This record gives sequence, structure tokens and C-alpha cells, in this order.
Amino acid sequence: MQNNNKTDINTSAFIKTETSRRRLLQAAVTSAGGLSLSLALPGCSTFRSNEINLDGSWNANAWLEITPDSQIIFALDRVEMGQGTYTGLTTLLAEELDVAPSQIKVIFAGAAKIYRNPAYGLQLTGGSNSLSTSWPQIRQAGASAKWMLMAAAAQVMQVDVASLSTENAYIIHTDSNKKLSYGNLGKLASKQSIPDKPVLKSASDYRYIGKQNQRLDSEQKVNGTAVYGIDVDIDGMRYAVVSRAPFIGGTVVSHNGAEIETMAGVKRVIQIRSGIAIVADSYWKARKAEKALKVKWLRDEQAPLNSAEIFKQYKQAAKDSEGDIKREEGDIDQAFEQADKIIELEYSLPFLAHSTMEPMNCTARIQDNKADIWTSTQAPDLAQVAVARVTNLSLGDVEIHNQFIGGGFGRRLSQDFVAEAAEISYKFGGVIKLIWSREEDTKSDLYRPATYHKLRASLDSRGLPTGWDHQIVAPKIMDWYVWDASPAMFPWAPKFMYPMLGHAGLLTEGTPITPADSSPYEGADDIPYSIPSINVRHVQADSGVPITFWRSVGHSHTAFVIESAIDELAYKASFDPVDFRRKYLESSPRLLNVLEKVAVHGRWGLSSESDIYQGIATHKSFGTYVALLVEIKVVDNQIQLLKAVCAVDCGLVVNPDIVKMQMESGIIFGASAALYGEITLEDGQVQQSNFHDVPVIRMNQSPLIETVIINSDHAPSGVGEPSVPPVAPAIANALFKAKGERYRNLPFKLV
Amino acid sequence: MKLIINGTEKQFNLDQDTPLLWVIRDELGLKGTKFGCGMGLCGACTVHLNGIAIRSCITPVSAVEGQAISTIESLSEADGTLHPLQQSWISHNVPQCGYCQSGQLMTASALLSSNPNPNDEDIDNAMSGNICRCGTYPRIKAAIKDAATKISKVESLSYEIKV
Repeated sequence: MQNNNKTDINTSAFIKTETSRRRLLQAAVTSAGGLSLSLALPGCSTFRSNEINLDGSWNANAWLEITPDSQIIFALDRVEMGQGTYTGLTTLLAEELDVAPSQIKVIFAGAAKIYRNPAYGLQLTGGSNSLSTSWPQIRQAGASAKWMLMAAAAQVMQVDVASLSTENAYIIHTDSNKKLSYGNLGKLASKQSIPDKPVLKSASDYRYIGKQNQRLDSEQKVNGTAVYGIDVDIDGMRYAVVSRAPFIGGTVVSHNGAEIETMAGVKRVIQIRSGIAIVADSYWKARKAEKALKVKWLRDEQAPLNSAEIFKQYKQAAKDSEGDIKREEGDIDQAFEQADKIIELEYSLPFLAHSTMEPMNCTARIQDNKADIWTSTQAPDLAQVAVARVTNLSLGDVEIHNQFIGGGFGRRLSQDFVAEAAEISYKFGGVIKLIWSREEDTKSDLYRPATYHKLRASLDSRGLPTGWDHQIVAPKIMDWYVWDASPAMFPWAPKFMYPMLGHAGLLTEGTPITPADSSPYEGADDIPYSIPSINVRHVQADSGVPITFWRSVGHSHTAFVIESAIDELAYKASFDPVDFRRKYLESSPRLLNVLEKVAVHGRWGLSSESDIYQGIATHKSFGTYVALLVEIKVVDNQIQLLKAVCAVDCGLVVNPDIVKMQMESGIIFGASAALYGEITLEDGQVQQSNFHDVPVIRMNQSPLIETVIINSDHAPSGVGEPSVPPVAPAIANALFKAKGERYRNLPFKLV
Repeated sequence: MKLIINGTEKQFNLDQDTPLLWVIRDELGLKGTKFGCGMGLCGACTVHLNGIAIRSCITPVSAVEGQAISTIESLSEADGTLHPLQQSWISHNVPQCGYCQSGQLMTASALLSSNPNPNDEDIDNAMSGNICRCGTYPRIKAAIKDAATKISKVESLSYEIKV
């Protein structure tokens, strides 16, 4: 199967770029006579080194193509991993082009500069910003394309553009009852000048934005035809599995690979950086051979040994260092000196696995100085880096054929599985499909970092908070991530510089070249409560356990601490938790609003039965405001999450039902983590392996969920992550009512 | 070795212990059935064996020799007309990443075959072996109920016509 993302372009037919708009759009005619538009998103102005410089030469990675038979093909440059970009971004284009979203054929973009996320200068999908970063560009580009088609039609019909309208991929001249299809006009449209300021539809004219409720990828996902990375078959493909060290930080000393190579169906046993790869005729033969493989490992003495030790180190770090100040307001010392009472709270949060339903996999063909990679990745240009690192190839020799993603949650922002497949294929000399087992997916994950928080609050004589001192001990995800990210940001750099670029990324952190890594403290430094003195500090502590992004990233731990502590402070001040938040959220009207809505809709204070307990939490992340009210029951020391009512303000809504879907998804994801999620280390080995010891919420444990969407005309913000952060604290706050004690460590353990 | 998959008889020369899942996916090229856990814990690999939902990842191919297996590819009609559950899945916007949904649908269709009007508890009991990390459970439940209602309406209608 070939997923050909390239548009067939006759470069000599390259027609026109207009200087003022060349950064945004380029038009060309395809060899078949259709219209092809390339969209170049200008780099964020603070990221000068990452700006996209088009030299005027045609880039074959088209963004939009209209074929002579009016097929509209859209290269989706944000991946589809369930969060709905396939539908949401297509809806924006459809709106401006005046065609039904279902009329647009969506293909997945390969790796190319033009597809980079302007917020990062990298082509990655994460941070719940696909819609917010694409919102202006896709609409402008769609509107430009429509205007060019109309201008072409005006020429053909010899009428004024203003007398034309569009409908269903036709340009219509009502007076003369003439119409021309978009496809017919492609060639002529490509010769039109690109409008400087295309007129966007006004909200009152929207036909699809805010109204489109059906997903566009559903049918292929219910009849089994949607193609995920693991489903790709390539001619001559063999299957590979990798045996990795059973503990973190192990290297191969020796192995019985020669013996294994004599087994039926086994092609080769190959040592790679991460372990020993077995290439065989079938997946099952590779797995059976792996059972007979014996590897002697050398342990890295510096590697982390066990979870208890890591938390001990964290606590020591909190004592040894005040940390870097991330927010300072009022006079914290004075607040504590003059306090009537001081509260000190400690919170611990574990490492967490991603457990995507589709285990890590990658198909690689590295032959003839070219690499083709078929996989499901959240960051195609980082996948290029991963391949270049382990082969003799340059970034430009690596083509990424991205597929539907069977769950991302941040896991597929890291490209370790791509590097493994590429190294195996490179050394084997043929095409291989690498598939991780569920156990490998759990044990060799890069985890949500474990963190430790110390929270001190000073109270006045009425019990009201005067000072908030939040100390966070956590590693920086960028320290792990920058090694792949930096070379992708500097694609001109020769490969021997890659390690240096990794260092450069770290050294330049916080400068315009590399953004500051706020993952350890995001959500805590912008705590919305108007407490007179606020101090937020980060203490850097990296245990050596591999980490990466995890759905809602830093908010996944900071919100738990803040919203648990605020609830606790409400009780100390003899306030109802909602009243207390109301009092301190005056400067955050949008957060206050979702809180009010959820309190009304969720009937705060009115539990339907005496043994059902309510808890509430509210948090802003990724520009989106979410409040959550949960109802729980505790039976035999087991928490039953019965109901979750959520209010969300994510600005203007493009697809209301996708917003609801994402709220539901994040709530259940957050509940799995709060109730069960935990990766632990003993003797350097990850203790969990499969869904029996990495349990997640199943249907019988799934709550009823109601979502209220706030009507808003603010710019759209993300929905993939923001409902995760409030889940754990809302449950903790309900648990306090049920059990009369505070649970400050995750996951909740009642016995 | 002989297998009957989606009504067609196929011959294979395979290791007896090969899990049915990999035969379906890699020998037959039917990729709708997914690999999730390899231990029968997640349900992504669910297929029907003589109409009963089974986990193909832990079923050795030798155990199902000569028996009728059906996969997600056979759930809709030959002309592409979707099964009422598939239609209901679409109208309820069930799939997100979609990876687990073939398995969910195969479990749900086996449920409706044996119990045309399941209540909440029946659905929980039947479906709790199928994990969805995107958390589509509330929609799956609603979609099953909706499909059950539609199927029973169609059946009562055809009964009336016959009478």
C-alpha cells in the first residue's frame, strides 16, 4: 500500500507568486490541469530561526488540490488521533470554499516545512492547538482559493465577479443561469493573483462552522477500512520484534543470535542501539524466536532503581533547593510572618503510561539511499530526524507516510519506535514492520513524569488565605525531547552536529530559538485565584526515568494540587467550595462562568442520595476553561465514579459534538489515571506490563457524562486535553466528603 | 489447515499455535481486526466463532480449524450496506481514534444476536471486556440501545407484513 501524499505538479507550469502573499499561498497548475495551492504558514515572529523561507521554487507538498473533475483534496497537516482534526480543519476549509465538508477528500501530509505548527516551528500535533493555530490560515487560504476560482469564472463568463455566487463546488451566475465547476476552472484560477485580504465569511453566514456535527472519518472506522500504521503492508515486508533490557539503562553484552538465526522463519538477528532485533517471515515466528533468545545485559549503575527512592530524592531536592521562582506576587515572607495559621500540604503523583490502544509500530524501507517510513506519528519531521540519526541518510532523503493514529496522548510525539524500525531496516537491507507487544509498550514507554509538590498557605484570623507558596519538584520534558526536536528545527545542519544541536536546544532554552519548557509548572504559575501573596517555584529533579508529553502535560499534576488545596482552604475558611472559588475568581470571569454553569447544571449541593458525594474542580489549560462536578460513591473502599458534569468555554465552537466527545474522552482518561494510573519501578524494572496491572476505565466503570458548552465568540481554543486536569481533584474533593480525609497522592488508595 | 473466514474456505500452512489474529491480519490481509494486548484483555481483536464473540489474539488457529469465523469486514452487507450497529455508531459519533471500534462492534453484534433488547446491565456485562482509551463508552452504550430499537422495529414490521 502506498499512501502517496505528493501532488503531481508540472513545475514548469508554475505560474505566479505574489510577493506580499508569497509567504502564505502559492498557486500552480497540476499536470492534469487542476489547481494546486501550497500553504506556507509564517513562523511565529519570535522564532526567527524557524521562519519558513520560500525561495520561490515550487514545493511539491501541496496543501489543497482541486482536480479537473472537481475533486477537492486537502492535505491534513495535523494528525488525526481521535481528537477530530480530520473533521474540524476540513470544516474550516469547506466553509470558505462553499462545499460540504464530506465532499473534501482528506490525505495525511508527509513531513515538510510548510506543514509545521507555527506555535512550535515543528510539524507536530500536541498542545491542543490544531484548531487555534489553523483557524485563521485555513480559512484565509480557503477564501483565497474560492476568490481565484470566482475571478477565473468571471473571465470565462465575461461578467463581474460581484455577480457570482458559489454552491457545491460550482461558480454560479444567477442572472444568466450559467454555472462552471471548480474543476473546470482550476487551470485558469491558478493564473489569478492571490488576493491580499481575502474576505472571510461572517459568522451569520456560516453553514458548517458551529453546525457540522458528524465526524468525517466515522464510516471507515466502523467498517474496518481505516488504515493505521500497524495495518500497512509493503511488498517484500518482513516482521521485526526487539528484545530490550528488562531494566532502565541496559546495554547488550552478548546474545545467542547465531543460534536463533537457524530457527524456522527467522531471517536475521541484529543488534541495534536499544537491544536485539529479530527479523522473521511472520510476527508470530519472530515472537517465538524471541522466547528462545538469550541476552546478557550490562546494567547502567547510574540508572534509577525504584519509585520509593525517586520520591525520596524529590523530597530531598525540595529541602535542598528553594527552586526557580516562576511567579512572585505580593510579599510572601510577610504573609507567612504575619499568618494566624500556616497549612503545609504534600502531594505525590506517579509516573504514568500512555497505553494507546494501537501499540507502537513502524514499517521502514531503507534502500537505495532513501527511506520510506509508514507509521502513526504525532511529529513527522521529528520522525525524519530519528531516521537520519540511525542511518547514513539526510533529513531530505526520508519520506514519512503518516497514517491514522490509534491513540496518541503525547506518546507518539517521541520517535523511539521509528528509530528502531529504521535501524533494523538499514542493517537488514529490506523492508520490515516492527510491532511492539503490549508489555513492551508499557515497559518501554516514556512516561508522564512523577512529581512531588509542597504547598504552604498562610491564613489570617478569619481562616482566609493571605499567602500561597507552591514548590514543584519535577523534571523538564524538554531535556529528553530536545535531542530529537533540535535537528528538525535546524534542517540545514549536517548530521554530526545533531548532538550539539541537542545541547544548543538546552542552552538556548527560553531564548527565541527554543521556547521555555514550562511543563513542570504550567497551570501553577498562572493560578487564577486572587490570593494577596503568591509564590510559585520549580525545583529541577530528573530521576533518569524516560519521560515525554502526556495528555494535558504539566496541567495533569498542577491542577490536582491547586484544586485539591483550594478545596481544602475553603473548608479551613468555613466556606462552601463553590462560594470560596467564586470569591477568589473575580479576575478570571471565564473560569468563574464555567464554575457557575457546572454548579447549576450539576445541582451542586443536591446529591440525589445520601451516600453519593459531590466534588468540584475548575482549571484553565491550553486556552480553554473547564469546570467539572463529579458524583462518587465509595463501596468496600472502592471508588465508583457515577456521574461527571462538565462546563467548557473553548471560544468559538467549530464542531459542537466533537467538543463534547473530547470532554467525555478527557474525563474518562483522567479518571483512569486518578483511580488506577501508576507506573512503578523496583530494582530498575517497570513493574507493570499489560491491562491487568495497568487497568483503565471500562464500560461498567464509566460515569454518565453531561457537557455544557459555553456560547462564546472568543477565538477557538483546544479541546483535546483540557478536561483531563480537573478530574483527579474533583474526585479527591468528593472523596474528602465521603471519607472525611484528604487524599493527596495519586492514584487514590483507600486501603 | 482449513479455515472458513467470512464464508470463504481458505487453506494455510501455518504453525499450529499461531494466534488466529495474525492469520486474519497478515495471511488474509483483513486489517480491520486489531492487535491490542495479546492476552485477551482489551477486546480489540474480537471476531465471531460460530456467531460467538471470541478474542482472536489468544485463540490458536488449530483450535478453530474448519469452523466459521467472521470479522468486521463481514459485518456490513456485501453491497456495503452497513449493519444497524455501524449506522448507529456513525450517527452517535462513536469513533474517536477508532482503533478499538472493530472489536467493540463485533462484541456488540454478538450481544444483539443473543439478546435483542439488552438493558444497561446486559450491555455493561457484554462490553466491559473491550477497552477504549478514548473513552467512547457512553456513546457505545447509547448506540447499542438505539440500534437494538431499530432492529426490533424492523423485525416487528416484517412480522406484520408476513401476517
